[in-house]
Amino acid sequence: MNSVDETVGEQTHTQGVDSDRSRLDRLKTSAFVESMPFWLPATLLVFLFVYGAIGWNAIISLTGWSGLGQPEYTSFTLDMYRQMPADTDFIASFRNTVVLLVAFTGVSLVVGLGLALLVDRKIRFENTIRTIYLLPMALSFVVTAIFWSWMYASDGLINTMLGGVGLGWVAQDWLGDPRFKLAAVIVALIWQFSGYCMIVYLAGLRSIPNDHYEAARIDGASTLTLYRRVIIPQLRSSTIGATVVLMVFALKAFDFIYVMFGTNPGRSADILAVTMYREAFAASQWAYGAAIAVVLFGLALTIIGPYAYSQYKRGAL
Amino acid sequence: MTQQHTVAGGRSRRRILQAIGTAGIVGLAGCTGTDDTEELDQLLDENPAEFNPVEIGHWWTAGGEQEAFEALVAGFEEAYPEIEVDSSPSPGGAGSALEADIRNRVVDQNPPSTFQIWPGQALTDYTDEDLLYDIEGHVWDDEMQEAYLDGPIEVSRPAGEFVAVPINIHRLNNLFYNVDVVEDAGVDPASIESPSGLLDAMEAVDEAGYIGMAQQTQSAWSTVQLWAQVLLGEHGVGAYETFISGDVEAVETEIRDSLDITEQYREYFSDDASSLNDWDDASDYINRGEAAFFHQGDWAAGEYEGDDGFEYGDDWDHVAFPGTDEMYALNMDSFVFPKHNPSPNATLRFLQYAGTADAQERFNPPKGSIPPRTDVDESVFTPFLQDQIADFQASTEQPPSIAHGLAVRSSIQTSIEGAFANFIDNWDVDETYDELAASFE
Repeated sequence: MNSVDETVGEQTHTQGVDSDRSRLDRLKTSAFVESMPFWLPATLLVFLFVYGAIGWNAIISLTGWSGLGQPEYTSFTLDMYRQMPADTDFIASFRNTVVLLVAFTGVSLVVGLGLALLVDRKIRFENTIRTIYLLPMALSFVVTAIFWSWMYASDGLINTMLGGVGLGWVAQDWLGDPRFKLAAVIVALIWQFSGYCMIVYLAGLRSIPNDHYEAARIDGASTLTLYRRVIIPQLRSSTIGATVVLMVFALKAFDFIYVMFGTNPGRSADILAVTMYREAFAASQWAYGAAIAVVLFGLALTIIGPYAYSQYKRGAL
Repeated sequence: MTQQHTVAGGRSRRRILQAIGTAGIVGLAGCTGTDDTEELDQLLDENPAEFNPVEIGHWWTAGGEQEAFEALVAGFEEAYPEIEVDSSPSPGGAGSALEADIRNRVVDQNPPSTFQIWPGQALTDYTDEDLLYDIEGHVWDDEMQEAYLDGPIEVSRPAGEFVAVPINIHRLNNLFYNVDVVEDAGVDPASIESPSGLLDAMEAVDEAGYIGMAQQTQSAWSTVQLWAQVLLGEHGVGAYETFISGDVEAVETEIRDSLDITEQYREYFSDDASSLNDWDDASDYINRGEAAFFHQGDWAAGEYEGDDGFEYGDDWDHVAFPGTDEMYALNMDSFVFPKHNPSPNATLRFLQYAGTADAQERFNPPKGSIPPRTDVDESVFTPFLQDQIADFQASTEQPPSIAHGLAVRSSIQTSIEGAFANFIDNWDVDETYDELAASFE
């Protein structure tokens, strides 16, 4: 027993020295180290230019930097954030941002789902129709904003068409009347993005196994029940994925509004992204602009955070 | 050649004193963490033969403005064939695109050689941070100071030192009209005595079946201009100057009244006012004979003069905005000499050139503006601009523009524009008054 114990002790000892050495060796040859040249430069650059810039922006929002001088990093306060609740422009643009987010995302999903269900019914020219619906998404906001502003003009396509079918009394000054400005923007954005929702839903529909349809049919389910009980519940992950993408687009709708209305869309169509730009680049209130950017970033995180967490839980990340 | 001499000979005792002063400020700035900036003389002497291309930031990218800029550059290249011009245009947003671009570059200490900017209070953001060279002596020599009118001289030194070279003068208190339309409506524009009197005239025009006033209300600045003329015409320069000095409460009744009149004008705007892309879409109503009146800076005249068969006096004409006969409401463009300059010697030559009669004679006729120098040959100008020059010389008051940065610093101007962005949205006089008052806080 003793000798055995001794040998074991010796072995453990030599193993200790060995394992130190071999750990280093193993580290050197490990996949982690060997793969470094491939991912490290990109990671460093991303940390510097993306996360570093976000962090720097947050720091600027704590200074009082304005005007054309250089920022002073001597004292940090939350003054910029304290101003926000009293700033009627900020409140209005925050409210508009939320309205845009909810209305645009909700309606786009519904329209996209409807289109996907229709296109999925083995129709003729399916590919052509799919392309037509998806095409608007390929266009830049600048292009779509310009031709929607033509269509919305008081003598534009929409009012002319309304007049043509005897609905002249419905015609409005869509981009001038504060009651319709934001709605006009939302409708145009829905037009642009419902095609994308359709594609996401169509992929979701195609991934439902045929057996499910057959089983439901054999059980005597009506078409309506088939949709309600079998198809739509299986589109949950498509819905979540599309929602996150749409919401992030809604937060970034800056280009569209900037092209339509410039830096001063007025309180009825102002959104946080435009307010941020106006404060920073038109008024040189850099710190306040940075603070608005932090709020916008916070909003984006509250949307993406839960999604990323649930994906992580399910092992999808 | 005389200009070259000025460069060398301008180094007087005063300049040396200034150099010491600047060095002191630079020293202080060094302590607070801002970069050193070399004194101009020293900078110019470093490498006097070096002429880097002069990069000019501007927004003159279309129509007569583009022609004017090209004429200016051509003149400069004739005078200084060894210097290359690098035009750096940022069109859009009545200058806001350029403004944003320039501010970023100035903060990054990487400005263009020179850039277009409104003189006056619009410069104070730059002078506060000591970002522009004092160019008295180097550019503003005695000859130039004598040749320039007083108004342009004053706006070139908002903080006491000469920092800008104005190149043109636009007038803001114009009321353009279509002669046939007003005759058809039985209105005599010259007899309208006040902005509120214009309401009656537009009523008559409306009854005759025309649009009273062409106006764009998609972006706010045109309405800022219009309201400013209403304030000037109805309540005079005194109320206007009290407003721009920031004492808004002292002229509360006048401000509310002028907003109220502007709001009443709205009834006579075309239905598509809010979807017109820019002022030239609105001015076109005069060309087409659909509207009677149009208020805009005198750059709008270019739209009529360029229209064949649409003659000044016979088809279109203009009067001073009602109630502002004695005034010439100023709007100008100027060039400056930013610090951290990429081409000091070339920039200096360009600024010297911009201040000459030759440059202003080339630039102003296509731009549709009048020169700030008094010795420019008038015969090269159109009859309309000759009339404007005569009006300018006869004017007793030259109030500076709010919408174009001469009167208020840019943060206040941005707030005022924001107030009017809401005004053209909800046309609420009370709310707009409160926001205007808050703009100066």
